[in-house]
Amino acid sequence: MKKTLVIFAHPYFEYSTSNLELVKVYEGIENLVFKDLYEDYPDFHIPAFKERKRIREFERLVFHFPLIWFSIPPLLKLWIDEVFDITWNLEINHPLQNKDAIIIVTVGGKAENYTAEGMYETTLEELLKSLTLSLKVNQIEVKELIAIHNSDDLTKNQLLEISKNIRQTLNKT
Amino acid sequence: MENSLAMTALIFLGAAIIMVPLVRKFGLSSVIGYILGGIIIGPFVLKLTGRGSEDIMHTTEFGVIMLLFLIGLEIEPKKFWKIRKKIFGMGLSQMVLTVASLFLIFYVAKWRPDQALVAALCFALSSTAIVLQTLKEKNIFRTDAGETSFSILLFQDISVIPILALLPIIAERPADKEKQILLQYLPDWLQPFSIIFGVLLLIVIARYLFVPFLRYVSRSGMNELLTATSLFLVIGVSELMDAVGLSPALGAFIAGVMLATSEFRHELESQIEPFKGLLLAVFFVSVGASINFSVIMQDPMFIFTTTIVVLAVKFGVLFGVGKFFKLKMDQNFMVAFALSQIGEFAFVLINYSTNLYLFDPKLNAQLLAITAITMCITPILLIINDKLIEPRWPKPSNNDDEIREPVKEQKIIIVGFGHFGSTVGRLLRVNGIKATVLDNDPERVNILRSNGFKVYFGDAAKPGILRSAGAETADLLILCLDDPEKNKFVLEYAREKFPQLKVFVRAKNRLDAYEFINSGVDHIYRETLGTAVDMAVDILKATGMRAYAARRLGQRFMLIDKAVTRKLAKEEKSDKVTFTMKAYLEREAELLAQDSHSFDESQWNENEDF
Repeated sequence: MKKTLVIFAHPYFEYSTSNLELVKVYEGIENLVFKDLYEDYPDFHIPAFKERKRIREFERLVFHFPLIWFSIPPLLKLWIDEVFDITWNLEINHPLQNKDAIIIVTVGGKAENYTAEGMYETTLEELLKSLTLSLKVNQIEVKELIAIHNSDDLTKNQLLEISKNIRQTLNKT
Repeated sequence: MENSLAMTALIFLGAAIIMVPLVRKFGLSSVIGYILGGIIIGPFVLKLTGRGSEDIMHTTEFGVIMLLFLIGLEIEPKKFWKIRKKIFGMGLSQMVLTVASLFLIFYVAKWRPDQALVAALCFALSSTAIVLQTLKEKNIFRTDAGETSFSILLFQDISVIPILALLPIIAERPADKEKQILLQYLPDWLQPFSIIFGVLLLIVIARYLFVPFLRYVSRSGMNELLTATSLFLVIGVSELMDAVGLSPALGAFIAGVMLATSEFRHELESQIEPFKGLLLAVFFVSVGASINFSVIMQDPMFIFTTTIVVLAVKFGVLFGVGKFFKLKMDQNFMVAFALSQIGEFAFVLINYSTNLYLFDPKLNAQLLAITAITMCITPILLIINDKLIEPRWPKPSNNDDEIREPVKEQKIIIVGFGHFGSTVGRLLRVNGIKATVLDNDPERVNILRSNGFKVYFGDAAKPGILRSAGAETADLLILCLDDPEKNKFVLEYAREKFPQLKVFVRAKNRLDAYEFINSGVDHIYRETLGTAVDMAVDILKATGMRAYAARRLGQRFMLIDKAVTRKLAKEEKSDKVTFTMKAYLEREAELLAQDSHSFDESQWNENEDF
């Protein structure tokens, strides 16, 4: 498996029903580092130098977070603001080189609401544009976007099925 | 051989000192060591004790009274309420069933009915000293088996009191004629109510006199005075009860319960504990010394069949009760084996009954021997349980997600509850996190208590007080004392005695912090760091810096400062000072100058930590 950094951002993790189960997927995997942003930087102070240096060694980034008010969690946004550098895409050999990404997002609403004709008149892909574009300009290809809709009302078996799906995606090189 | 009292005491203590470490080496309870030591110095082996041993036994029975006082202190009404079902359900059924079965067996074996009943009552009790010691050594206080054992023992300890009151009635004679001075002033019809009257009197005294009295003494700040006062209270109460014709043990127990919620609970515990330990040790040795082997030799069959019958009945009843209360198999075996012996209260009760002429000296000697033998068998039974029975019950596997053990509450001790500690404590309290708080300022403790804070009076620098505050089973120790030297002292003591504690410590400045870092503490809070940085951040704002930029700088400063302090502490320890303080301060300034907004890659590569 590729050397993977999971960037997990959840401001209310202890109240999450689905994510408590889903993050178990990352336990005990070789070559995988699990980074819990809200646990590591509770005061929103991100040591940017440290992060920039560490990120170089990974071949894959997994962004795992809940959708909050139609956006990514604020600390994840801040992490990107502090760590990514707009001048990098002009350089050769910058810290974000040779990486791909997987996005795993839990959404409370139903899938049919997130369509152009649905209740919110937009799609999840549109809402996550700030993240996916930031990755794209740094030549990070998003291999897969796993959206977990209805995330507050999933049964244990459904969650186990999703976990299996995530595991398979991780194992695809 | 006739010895002076001091000489006899010397021999007794000597026996204890030699035998206890020896039996501990074999993994046996210290009680066995005391009893064996007693047997060896006794009239049947070395003949070192004269008639003094009986006297010493009576004197040191006082240790049992102190034990009851301490048990009373442990029983906070709230805690009592929490496990009330276990205490009364399991405890009562164990007592009733055991007494009934033993009485029936003894009766069928043609004992005198009153003797059969008293023996059954004595034998139903288990040994608090042995079982609690075992639980502590195996570290299973918080398991089902631990809680069940504690509940049953508690009920038994409480039932000693009515049994003591019951014995004179069974004997059909007043407890002690000469001593009932006060009681005789009461009219005849009132005398049966004397127990209720005495207890009420004691509750009133304990409630309205003890605590102000202790406060008054503690204000003097003299340690030995508190020791004297603690002893004065216990001895005073038991003498008072004696004077009105009630059991001193009952008095001590009630006094303990009344003081359990006061701020002096842990202080009293740590003061009385050593006396109790010493007296009980000598008591057990004297029990050993008074075992009459010629009686055993005369009728070994009687002794051994009775012993086996008692053990079997106690085991059976405990096992049945455990099963009925749905205890898991392995836990149930543990409880049944651990509590199958006869307890130390039996010694007291048997001797008391003999004084009431319920038992003749021969039966007395036989019963005492049986009690001692069951005590010596317990460790062997527990080894059998460990080696043969427990492995047969598989531990519940943790793989099953459906079984979610409730998260165990962390036990926290806060030392020092001044302005610093109370701020810590308040934030914990509003989040519903309970902590045991110790403070050694009697005025402050009094004020905090009247405001509803659960604070105990006690100087944590004194050995024993942390233990009585529950340091052995606690998870976190929070040191918030004003004096850094005192914090250091308590820290070192706690590290040595209770290595499982995770320590959070308040430090005044950098120099204190160095020492704490070098003694391996991870959580250090410099009171001069956070506030000073807050102030500097506000000053930066006042000079015109944007608030967000100032805050970022402040946070970076804290991180760098903490890291530098760690490095400097290590160098101070190794005496290899490569950088001087000045050099570090310059470096710190350099680091700060590069905010993370710096876009030059060459700079951030080397400063990756901040």
